[in-house]
Amino acid sequence: MPTRDTVIQATGLTKLYRNGPVEVQALRGVDFAAKRGDFVVILGPSGSGKSTFLNILGGIDRATAGQVMFEGDDITTFAEADLTRYRRDHVGFVFQFYNLVPSLTALENVALVTEIATNPMRPDEALDLVGLISRRDHFPAQLSGGEQQRVAIARAIAKRPELLFCDEPTGALDSATGIMVLDALTEANRATGATTLIITHNAAIRDIADRTLRFADGRIVEEWVNPQRKRPDQVSW
Amino acid sequence: MVISPLGRKVLRDLRRLWAQALAIAAVLAAGVATMILGNGAYDALSDTRARYYADYRFADLTSDLVRAPLSLMDDIRAIDGVVQAEARIVKLGRPEIAGLVEPASLLLVSLSEKGGLNRLYLRAGRLPDPASMREVVVSQDFATAHRLTAGSRLDVVMNGKRRKLTVTGIALSPEFIYALGPGEMMPDPRRFGVAWLPREAMEAAYDLRGAFSNLVVRLAAGADAAKVIETLDRITARYGGGGATGREEQTSHAFLDAELKQLGAMVKVLPPTFLFVAAMLVHMTLSRLVTLEREQIGLLKAMGYTPARIASHYLEFVLVIAFAGVLAGFAAGAWLGAGLAQLYARFFSFPFLLFSRDPQVYGLAALVSLAAATGGALQALRGVLALPPAVAMQPPAPADYRHGLARLARGGPLRQTGRMVTRHLLRWPVRTATSLLGIAMAVAILVASLWSFGSIEKMIHVTFGLAEGQDVKLVLTAPSPARAVADARHMPGVMRAEPFRIALARLSFANLSDRAAAGVRSKRVAIEGRPHDAALSRVLSPDLVPMPMPQAGLILTEALADALAVRTGDRVHVAFLDGKRREVDVPVSGISLGYVGLGAAMEIGALNRALGEGAMVSGVNLVVDPAASGAFFAAGADAPNVGFLNVTALTVGRFRATLAENITMMVTVYVTLAGIISVGVVYNFSRIALSEQGRELASLRVLGFTRAEVAGVIFAELATVVLLAQPLGWMIGHGLGLAMVAAFSSDLYRVPFVMGREVYAIASLIVIAAAAASAVAIKGRIDRLDLIAVLKTRE
Repeated sequence: MPTRDTVIQATGLTKLYRNGPVEVQALRGVDFAAKRGDFVVILGPSGSGKSTFLNILGGIDRATAGQVMFEGDDITTFAEADLTRYRRDHVGFVFQFYNLVPSLTALENVALVTEIATNPMRPDEALDLVGLISRRDHFPAQLSGGEQQRVAIARAIAKRPELLFCDEPTGALDSATGIMVLDALTEANRATGATTLIITHNAAIRDIADRTLRFADGRIVEEWVNPQRKRPDQVSW
Repeated sequence: MVISPLGRKVLRDLRRLWAQALAIAAVLAAGVATMILGNGAYDALSDTRARYYADYRFADLTSDLVRAPLSLMDDIRAIDGVVQAEARIVKLGRPEIAGLVEPASLLLVSLSEKGGLNRLYLRAGRLPDPASMREVVVSQDFATAHRLTAGSRLDVVMNGKRRKLTVTGIALSPEFIYALGPGEMMPDPRRFGVAWLPREAMEAAYDLRGAFSNLVVRLAAGADAAKVIETLDRITARYGGGGATGREEQTSHAFLDAELKQLGAMVKVLPPTFLFVAAMLVHMTLSRLVTLEREQIGLLKAMGYTPARIASHYLEFVLVIAFAGVLAGFAAGAWLGAGLAQLYARFFSFPFLLFSRDPQVYGLAALVSLAAATGGALQALRGVLALPPAVAMQPPAPADYRHGLARLARGGPLRQTGRMVTRHLLRWPVRTATSLLGIAMAVAILVASLWSFGSIEKMIHVTFGLAEGQDVKLVLTAPSPARAVADARHMPGVMRAEPFRIALARLSFANLSDRAAAGVRSKRVAIEGRPHDAALSRVLSPDLVPMPMPQAGLILTEALADALAVRTGDRVHVAFLDGKRREVDVPVSGISLGYVGLGAAMEIGALNRALGEGAMVSGVNLVVDPAASGAFFAAGADAPNVGFLNVTALTVGRFRATLAENITMMVTVYVTLAGIISVGVVYNFSRIALSEQGRELASLRVLGFTRAEVAGVIFAELATVVLLAQPLGWMIGHGLGLAMVAAFSSDLYRVPFVMGREVYAIASLIVIAAAAASAVAIKGRIDRLDLIAVLKTRE
């Protein structure tokens, strides 16, 4: 149920991919709401619609039907330019493969975003949050996978987004490194108050979340509230 | 037919990358086309000329005389090295054609005997009956200009008498491939033509029975032309021989030589430029393709394909493009060649044009192009084929910006996207540099072709605006006493008259001080005598200041001074070929500017004294009231002692019209070629930049960068390369321009080098416009970047 604190709310979200004669129903009427500061983990097998869901909420894909309300606006009605504005000002993204710009150092990758944001933190402040200030002048090629992902997190939160969307942020990492990344994410969530949605295949991660959703066949089939959040270093896989 | 899986992949790659493939093929095609066109036109012109000369027995030497008995021919034929000699009568007549108000002249030439030299190619009709006094054959261009056909009537004033002639045929002669009227700068077939009459008719008209006024000679192979000329001049001296000249001083031949020289220069510059750019594009594109397909290559090797087989797969891809380019180049070269042949046919009077499809030229063009493409491809393949399959199948490490130039651009006022641009350009310095050079060459080609406009305007301004101020130059049939000036002053409309004297002479100079120029140099020139303070036809110093005629010395044009290797203060030996044929030593008092021909000037009184004649004039420069020009031309036509009139306005008009036609065609071709290079380089460069950074750009879009901002990253890269290429292009173009000036300057012409800022500006604008068009083509791809796919995949 939406409350005064609700930051983002999806209603009847449907997505139909058409590829020639083949139709794929990726989402079949998903309802969802998240409050400010919520830390939500999304589980589900491949093809269950969880990435599509996140992409639509993040404004990089469009719904076939349904609504996504953010701060009183339905972003499904946004034109391309409005979606860009929405991502620029309100959404932070973290991806499985980091997607850092190889020609920019860690600090510069963060500055890439702070230069265009309206109320950003200083780039080194963001790097400090993820514990990488000492690597600020390193290029991506000089950083480990975990370090690259933490730079990506710093880049995502440096704009102080209302929403932080992470698609398989630990998918390419080993367990120890993955925990450091999760640490960075929980710290970012705490420090910025960004509503954080994390897609993962890894069920162990749900212990660190406020809430866990499980997707299957384009629907949320299970929702589970965590009474006691664990710290990332308390989980293992 | 069964196509192998790799064969199918080639076809699909081509379909996928068609635009890049097309751009490469177009650049290659331009290289092949210019090679075929240049070599083809060169061969066409020189082969046609050689064949025409041989088949129609074009003479090696010619000499004008006043009057010599036919018996002299025996002495001439006896000269060692002379194979054939023929006595002719050559005189200037005036055609009277209804509707032709401006002065015109007709060079009348006595027909040679059967088996003679400078034979006519009869285009239509028949030769005159040797016994006829009224039959004439006229040159084709003149006939076309006046719609004369066999049977037409033609009135010609010969030696002051009007004769009613009948045209029996239309002909061409190897002697007049490029037919220039006396004192003119460009051919004007309306006002100048050649007419051939039976010898008897000419003898009768000019009172030269048993005599001749012109001599043509064919030399034995290997004969020493200079020696023959010396003997010939000695024999003809007492008969008013003006000195024999070889082919290189014969107007028509020399103009063809100048054209050949220009073509030769073009062939040296253009095709190599295009082939270089094409090789570079192939290398760029294939390097990227191979990088993208690195894992597939590893897989193929793991499956047991040999490196040679894999290399041949990529070579097939390149060779398909190269063959397409070569074929398109063949077609374009042949088509342009035909166009150029038509232009030649209009400009030069050839009875036929041997535009041979020389398989050697085509074969060479194909071979060189395929080699350029293959070379670019092999260079790109080398690295990947050396990798062990297991390594190749792993994704390449992320682009490393730690080392080399890309480390630069730290700090400073750049935004992060500016850093991305700078570092990406510096990360592949060779590719950036070659792309830059490619675009610079496009600019250079334009700069090197566009400067000629300014140069021509300068020639016209200097020659007709500053030097030659007369409206009409009236040339008398023969040097006359000074009262001819008074006569001219009394012609209708004449407001001002200034005499001049022209004397043919051989100038020679033995340079004793300068070792490099050692030896005796000599040139046959016309010395023009002018009043000390001439106001109409003036001699200009190299810095365009009018030079008063010195009391005693000679003023030589820069071209003549260079040819003789003389400086101001040197004394040159002048052997007059006119009148009493005196020989004198004269100091050089100054060096003057001159664009057309070799020239020498003296004060008219001093010249007459040197000649040992009284106050004689060869003609008068006149200012004529435009309102009275009709009456003036009519009076000029009726005056028996007037040889011909050069009307400045007509000369300039013809000069402009002819050049406008040639230059328009030339500029169209060069702009097209430069456009092809710019589009080819910019399009491939940006496609590759986009392919390499597509993932980063999609990330930027996800991070909230607008489409325009993301496109801005690629465009900034392009703009940097395109803009940096401009000054380099200007410099190369400037150098090419200077080389062209050197290549084009001959004894006939000296082209002033005028490189204005507007030349750079126009060249840059054209290339930037072509680059912008390619950028627009890329913009759609940037806008369609698939944000999701990019984020889901590892590179």
